[in-house]
Amino acid sequence: MFSDIKAGDTTPTHNHSSVRDWIVGDACTIHYTVMEQQHNAQESPTKPSEYDPDINQDELIKAQEKQIAEEIKANTAMIGSLDDLSTLEQEYSNDPVYSGKVKTLLPKYCNVRRTRPDGNCFLRGFIFAYLEYCIHHRDELARFKKYLEGSKEELFEMGFPKFTTEDFHDMFMEVVSDLEGSGSVDRVEAVCNDGGTSDYLVVYLRLLISSHLQKNAEFFSFFIEGGRTVEEFCKQEVEPMYRECDHLHIVALTAAVGVGVRVMYLDRGEGAAVASHDFPEDSTPVIHLLYRPGHYDILYNKA
Amino acid sequence: MANIAIQRIKREFKEVIKSDEAQKCAINVELVGDDYRELRGEIAGPPDTPYEGATFQLEIKVPETYPFNPPKVKFVTKIWHPNISSVTGAICLDILKDQWAAAMTLRTVLLSLQALLAAAEPDDPQDAVVAKQFKENHSLFLQTAQYWSHVHAGVPKGNSEFAKKVRCLQDMGVGEHQALVALSSCNWDVDRAIEQLFS
Repeated sequence: MFSDIKAGDTTPTHNHSSVRDWIVGDACTIHYTVMEQQHNAQESPTKPSEYDPDINQDELIKAQEKQIAEEIKANTAMIGSLDDLSTLEQEYSNDPVYSGKVKTLLPKYCNVRRTRPDGNCFLRGFIFAYLEYCIHHRDELARFKKYLEGSKEELFEMGFPKFTTEDFHDMFMEVVSDLEGSGSVDRVEAVCNDGGTSDYLVVYLRLLISSHLQKNAEFFSFFIEGGRTVEEFCKQEVEPMYRECDHLHIVALTAAVGVGVRVMYLDRGEGAAVASHDFPEDSTPVIHLLYRPGHYDILYNKA
Repeated sequence: MANIAIQRIKREFKEVIKSDEAQKCAINVELVGDDYRELRGEIAGPPDTPYEGATFQLEIKVPETYPFNPPKVKFVTKIWHPNISSVTGAICLDILKDQWAAAMTLRTVLLSLQALLAAAEPDDPQDAVVAKQFKENHSLFLQTAQYWSHVHAGVPKGNSEFAKKVRCLQDMGVGEHQALVALSSCNWDVDRAIEQLFS
């Protein structure tokens, strides 16, 4: 009489927070894709009809996640083109709640720029919209550059590893210096759609958020769920790539870099209007983002 | 491989070679082939653990999307540890999965694996059988892990009782490693190991 589990087996209780995070984050797209794939799979004769213990379900889930992520990567630019806001209206032509709410955006906003739903959408949207703003406001670009310069030492003091942090920092400085010289919106678009560069900018913003949260740990600890410390939260939800940005991330980032952001919340919440929130509170927003459950895109104010 | 990945991994490679830990022979890394896609890592078993004196070889595969996704790491040297599969060498460690961050490096990975050898997490196991023994019969776990370090990872001190049991199964035509796995999984109960092997 011995245990029926074999040595080397992965236990069924194995931690799958990554799956959960994917489903929660950027929910619309992922859910839709998963459902579509399951639908297709049902039509395929190779789909196993019953539970098969020889098939490693963990591996299957991982493989499907990877496939979804690759499809998103292949089909959506990190920062999309400048679209008319009416395209958003068309997207919801069959949905009275959403289309009604989109209509209330039309007097205030004229355009939308979609971002890739890969969990980095807030940060990518933020940095694109901000750098684009800086193209037209050179004094702000100078202020940001000065802030960036000082931020490196601050991160070192917080204990972030020198060698990699320096890498991300240098890349960011290079981008900003380049924009100072020959900056144009096209240039910002190219930079934010260049895989390595764009991801490095996102990583550096993640470090700035983590640093700000940890520096103010006493305050932020009240807002963290699941009995985790601020440091644990940063290791799990802030520093890893592709992790969705939540309220807390946005509060920390906008406070750290001193940039006002207005988020318009398009969801099924009560009321006919789209709720909005400014970060930091009472600031004057220079960036406008459109939130739909699990995803952020960039909005453009009517001049 | 993407330019960013190659540049990063080259610098990280140097960082490991030049590190204090490498000078003390606690960690090391070597190239496999002529690019940086695959590396061979090495960590020394930490003192005051059943892995003391052992050297473990690791297979490190660097993905195209490095450093935004973690390197794929597994043990090549067989090891008896709750968070490492005794069969495949697969590792359960948060930073190699969903808690990887682009600011981490090869050096961080090697040192974290060394720390994992010193502080197992049996409640988040990769190998359920090892984890069960770790929790329910800890002294036998320590002896088993030590014996695996002797058989597979270059530790001189053996265990004559365990060696005798392995030989006993070998006499019945079972391969040496197969015998070691069966006995280790059955808390060194020869009858149960035989039952498992021949049922």
